[in-house]
Amino acid sequence: MNILTSIGEVSWFILLVAAGVAALVGYLYSHFKFYSRSWFFPAVLAVFPALALAVFGGLLGGYAFKLWLSFLAAEAAIAVFFRYVVKGRHTVPYLLLAPAFVGLALLLVYPFVFEVYLSFHDLKLTTIMMWKNTGTLPFVGIDQYIKVFTTSPLSETTFWQLLLRTLVWTFSNVFFHVLGGFILALMLNNSIRFKGFYRTLLVIPWAMPQVVAVLAMRGEFHATNGFVNIVITRLLGFFPFLSHLGVAPVQWLTDYPLLTCTLINIWLGIPFMMVVILGGLQSISSSYYDAADIDGASYFQKLRYITLPLVRPVMMPAVTLGTVWTFNNINVIYLVTGQAGGTEQADILVSALYKAAFTYNRYSYSAAFAIVVFAMLFFFSVFYLKSFDAAKDER
Amino acid sequence: MATVQFKKIVKKFGDNVVLNGVDVDIKDHEFVVIVGPSGCGKTTLLRMLAGLEEISDGEIFIDNLLVNELHPSKREIAMVFQDYALYPHMTVEENMNFALRLRKMDKAEIGARVTEAANILQLNKFLKRMPKQLSGGQRQRVAIGRAIVRKPKVFLFDEPLSNLDAKLREEMRVEIAKLYQRLNATIIYVTHDQVEAMTLAGRIVIMNHGIVQQVGSPIEVYRKPVNLFVAGFIGSPTMNFLSGKLAVKDGVAVFSNESITMPIPAFVLPQKEAREGREVVLGIRPDDVLVERPGGDKCSCKIDGVLEVCELLGHRENLYLKVGGQRLLATVEAFFNRSPGSAVSLCFNYQNMHVFDKATEQRISE
Repeated sequence: MNILTSIGEVSWFILLVAAGVAALVGYLYSHFKFYSRSWFFPAVLAVFPALALAVFGGLLGGYAFKLWLSFLAAEAAIAVFFRYVVKGRHTVPYLLLAPAFVGLALLLVYPFVFEVYLSFHDLKLTTIMMWKNTGTLPFVGIDQYIKVFTTSPLSETTFWQLLLRTLVWTFSNVFFHVLGGFILALMLNNSIRFKGFYRTLLVIPWAMPQVVAVLAMRGEFHATNGFVNIVITRLLGFFPFLSHLGVAPVQWLTDYPLLTCTLINIWLGIPFMMVVILGGLQSISSSYYDAADIDGASYFQKLRYITLPLVRPVMMPAVTLGTVWTFNNINVIYLVTGQAGGTEQADILVSALYKAAFTYNRYSYSAAFAIVVFAMLFFFSVFYLKSFDAAKDER
Repeated sequence: MATVQFKKIVKKFGDNVVLNGVDVDIKDHEFVVIVGPSGCGKTTLLRMLAGLEEISDGEIFIDNLLVNELHPSKREIAMVFQDYALYPHMTVEENMNFALRLRKMDKAEIGARVTEAANILQLNKFLKRMPKQLSGGQRQRVAIGRAIVRKPKVFLFDEPLSNLDAKLREEMRVEIAKLYQRLNATIIYVTHDQVEAMTLAGRIVIMNHGIVQQVGSPIEVYRKPVNLFVAGFIGSPTMNFLSGKLAVKDGVAVFSNESITMPIPAFVLPQKEAREGREVVLGIRPDDVLVERPGGDKCSCKIDGVLEVCELLGHRENLYLKVGGQRLLATVEAFFNRSPGSAVSLCFNYQNMHVFDKATEQRISE
């Protein structure tokens, strides 16, 4: 019987989604069909809001009026768009795109708008009950943004220290990702035996769920039972002179948490770069190397004058992506240091942001913080891709 | 400039023998074209000379210097590739002076050489352009320019015109011929196009299945092909082949198959080669099939045939004929005013008739 109930529930849900999509497409279709009629705007501004008010009022109670207002604004925008921009052309493409747009709006646009709203207000542990009861928050202007730069999200580390640490973290990670990926790709690009086997082995860290990979590696950095320290201890046993050089087991997780995170993240990130660069290497025609051989280029000159410039077009987008991912990487740092209180010595901007929001409950501050981080990454990416486009135009 | 010698060159890829004992001597200042169908090993031979392919067995000498183990850049050769292999991220100028820059040559000297090569190839306007911004013919010229600036001992061309359209190919062919007159260099040129081979070469090396079939001047390989392969490969349209048996009547060789019987005079086939019952193949170029023309004493007797198809080429006309079961192609002056299906009489010009042994495929006529 349980199974039957589940099947019933699932089918009901599917039906509901299908009906939602049908209603949405029908609703947009009416815009296509009637955009040129004289009664279009009055109807749009009267009938749909009235329907929406009924639906929202019944479903949501207290929030209904605000939602209704935003619906009215969205509806007016859609109506203007269809009347003056679309004008009944491209009917089918717009209808097909509509569900995806709605999904994006719900998942990306709405949270982003709400985040901007939060960042100009003050939502924290002391005001959250007020928000719940009245639905309003005190407006504080750009106070939260000032606080982002003047106060710290954490107890021991300032914003500027965090920013510097994030830049070092990002640069060192991406640098070693590219370096390691490049070296491995160059090795795999030779005609060697068991190439597919090596490639599979090398890609495993990337293919594994990050939680599993990071927690496993965290275990290997354990002070007494971790692989790394065991190897160091054994080496000292075989070569006692090493201890005079200062080699000794290291308290990785407590003394060098950021270094540990970096090592783990480098290991995790190399496969992606390797795969991308290998793809780039394989697309380089061998006749360039033949020509360079005849021209008298050494191995490193071929690398410098042929391989690097020709791999650059595939590498640049990957580096951009890798930079954004590393800058925003919370998984590794949270999983290595963040559980059970943890240390602040390894925190970068986004992991501090996470703590500010969900450990210290400073929601509006975190919203402003997130927008600052977003702005940094946005300008970085635009600048990077622009410079890449410019480089591409040169050739 | 230099001489090049191939001595018993063998190339194997695993068990697959690509070149089997190639022996060729190339003289100083000579333009040699290596020609053959795809997969005959001609490009492999060139790449072995350039040092891009290992030599399984045998020896290669450039200027009497054994180069088997020498790095490509030390062999003082320059190569023009089929796909040009212009470095896409460098300008035309950078492409041309790349090798010189690697040698850390004096800047003024580099500039002078590039300017000189650009003048020869009319590339002055394009020096600052990227290869992408050039047409196929211009890229080809850049690739040649890149070879010229290095002042190599030997130029190697690997099917340089095969990526160009027909008209451009003709223009570039003339350009290369002019370039050869100007540089007077040793050039080894690989192609599968027998027209390029005939028009450019001082000497042609014809290869098939990794074996050199014939080496000779264009006119030699055209007039006296040593075997059936060369006879069929050189010349356009292709030679007619008639296979049949020989008989000897009153000391005169007589060729016969189901459709055609004709005597073969002694000045074509020496007496000692004419054996009763020997299986042979006659080769006659379409130009030497005379249709509706009075044959002289150097021609065979009249044979009756049927005209199947006419192809008008302008000043010439291809006639597809049938004599009994034997198909023949004849090339005649335009206009041959006969409709398909009409009966024609034809004869063969004995002076340009070739006789091959069917079993060995070797030439047995004079």
